[in-house]
Amino acid sequence: METLLGQGRAAIDLIVDAGTFAEGTVGARTFDDPDFGPGAVVGTASLAGETVTVIASDAEAFNEKFPVVYSGVIGLEEGYKMAQAVYATLAADAEKKAAEKRPIVLIVDTPGNGPGKVEEIFGMNKATGAYQLALAEARLAGHPIVAMVVGRAISGAFLCHGLQADRILSLTSEFQTMIHVMPITSVSRIIKKDVELLEALAKSNPVFAAGPSFFFKLGGVERLVETIDGMRPAIIEQVAEIRKAKAAGAATQTGPRGRGSLGAERGGREVRPKVQELLRSEFAAVEERFRPRVA
Amino acid sequence: MPNWTRLQTNSFLECSARERAVGLVDEGSFVELGGPFDRLVSPHLVALGEAVENDDGIVTGVGRIGARPVFVISQEGRFIGGSVGEVGGAKMVGIIDMAIDFHDRLVAEFPDLPALARPLVAISFETGGVRLHEANAGLLAHAEVMDALQRARRKVPVVALIGSRIGCFGGMGFVAAATDAIVMSEFGRLGLTGPEVIEQEMGKDEFDASNRALVYRTTGGRHKYVMGDANFLVDDTVAAFRAQLAELCAEPVDSFERMRRIGSPELVEKQLRGVALAADLKPTDARDVWRHAGNNDPVGLADGPLSDFRKSVRRLAL
Repeated sequence: METLLGQGRAAIDLIVDAGTFAEGTVGARTFDDPDFGPGAVVGTASLAGETVTVIASDAEAFNEKFPVVYSGVIGLEEGYKMAQAVYATLAADAEKKAAEKRPIVLIVDTPGNGPGKVEEIFGMNKATGAYQLALAEARLAGHPIVAMVVGRAISGAFLCHGLQADRILSLTSEFQTMIHVMPITSVSRIIKKDVELLEALAKSNPVFAAGPSFFFKLGGVERLVETIDGMRPAIIEQVAEIRKAKAAGAATQTGPRGRGSLGAERGGREVRPKVQELLRSEFAAVEERFRPRVA
Repeated sequence: MPNWTRLQTNSFLECSARERAVGLVDEGSFVELGGPFDRLVSPHLVALGEAVENDDGIVTGVGRIGARPVFVISQEGRFIGGSVGEVGGAKMVGIIDMAIDFHDRLVAEFPDLPALARPLVAISFETGGVRLHEANAGLLAHAEVMDALQRARRKVPVVALIGSRIGCFGGMGFVAAATDAIVMSEFGRLGLTGPEVIEQEMGKDEFDASNRALVYRTTGGRHKYVMGDANFLVDDTVAAFRAQLAELCAEPVDSFERMRRIGSPELVEKQLRGVALAADLKPTDARDVWRHAGNNDPVGLADGPLSDFRKSVRRLAL
């Protein structure tokens, strides 16, 4: 079976208009230093004739300065570089109306954030945290953001590069895509439950099992894509749908909140909305106490 | 409810999530929302035959500090390491959303409402991040919290309080970094990758997770204060955390933007100067960075009393 695992650049070319990807330029910003954040690929392309920002990981790159960065790991430089690309996108369309802001396409194939001593000394949590905030800001400003999982979407790295998108698509597991926090064997070891038990439970409850289909049931992936050729039209379609939802003022229908509602609809996360409803009703009952005391 | 006056002198490190929630706000003002009587247990732990808690390990509610309504989220490390699953994540997002909604309604009704009467969110972190028993739901909840923090920007200040046993790691390390202001004690720890995982990735020679001094040097409150990641370093008492929070409650929302470490293109450029320094300096220990910041005796500084540390420490300028 075909796979795009470890081939972020190839995936870009399969998705955007042929030959249009210009790496290293986003709006007015250029990324000229080849040694800066080599694990992150950022640039501009056309998609169905429209200008889009593309952000991906390069699984072949190795960051000499931060040797934990290889195989698509997002390190300190990579996280901030990705954030810079998003801010450059925001700046490029700052004068445009919300409905006309350019899409951002995230090609997702990353195994993790940089795990290391230097990373912790300087704060890896800030680097990819900064990227998440930038994506959330762009999404809320109107930029349609589509994440396309073509390989590994693992735990904290998926949180940074994927889960702030308006919509998330994933190739099905036949293409060796992986979405998880931890493989079920590791979960089994840590929470001390037999793998057989976990696998049996996973049939009815998708909350801990690994794979795109489980995330689909939880509403964590909006749509599964069954062929490589299907990625491009699916992304184009999502961009149109996102714009429609945002124009209708339904910002809560896309992004993390949209996936929360979808989780309940698909029966994967049914408690979430009940908890929030309960909090609201309990606060309403005491709200008066917390309003300004007007003389 | 715990005795408020007695709580104030307690070690913040030793306090339960509920004690912290009650003690941080004004005496008698805390109202728990989604409390134990609501029995918001994790259905996923039930399915696995695991023990549950009726608050799912996260205490949520609202209190006051002076005129400010303070929405509180407090994580309990003694329940599965303070891990965040579907219910706990929904409680966190629900509280931040209510604070934003309350802010918007109040400001619509009272356009001149002074800053110190507008809502604020305080999060007392004690967590390793995603709960593995319901890992996928936990991960998705983390993304919702990050989104909520961005939506709260320039409306509702969000303050992180970190001084509990487990520290603040994993996906919640991002969440803390994304708040407006961070208050830590020297016993607080903040990071992404926990010590055991670093050891596993880099080998024991590079990072010995059983070396507590090394662990604290790398992610502890004193170090994070030198790095500028913690805005404030306070004593390990409920009263000290509360006093700092109360001071922040007097600030208008604009001041909080200036306390941030990430969240704007300018701040990304600033942090990248730190990353360039990391590449140049190639520190093998956090002490190398302390020395670079102008602290000639990092060992003495690390081991001395906190009051001396606060007086004499040089913080990294980027």
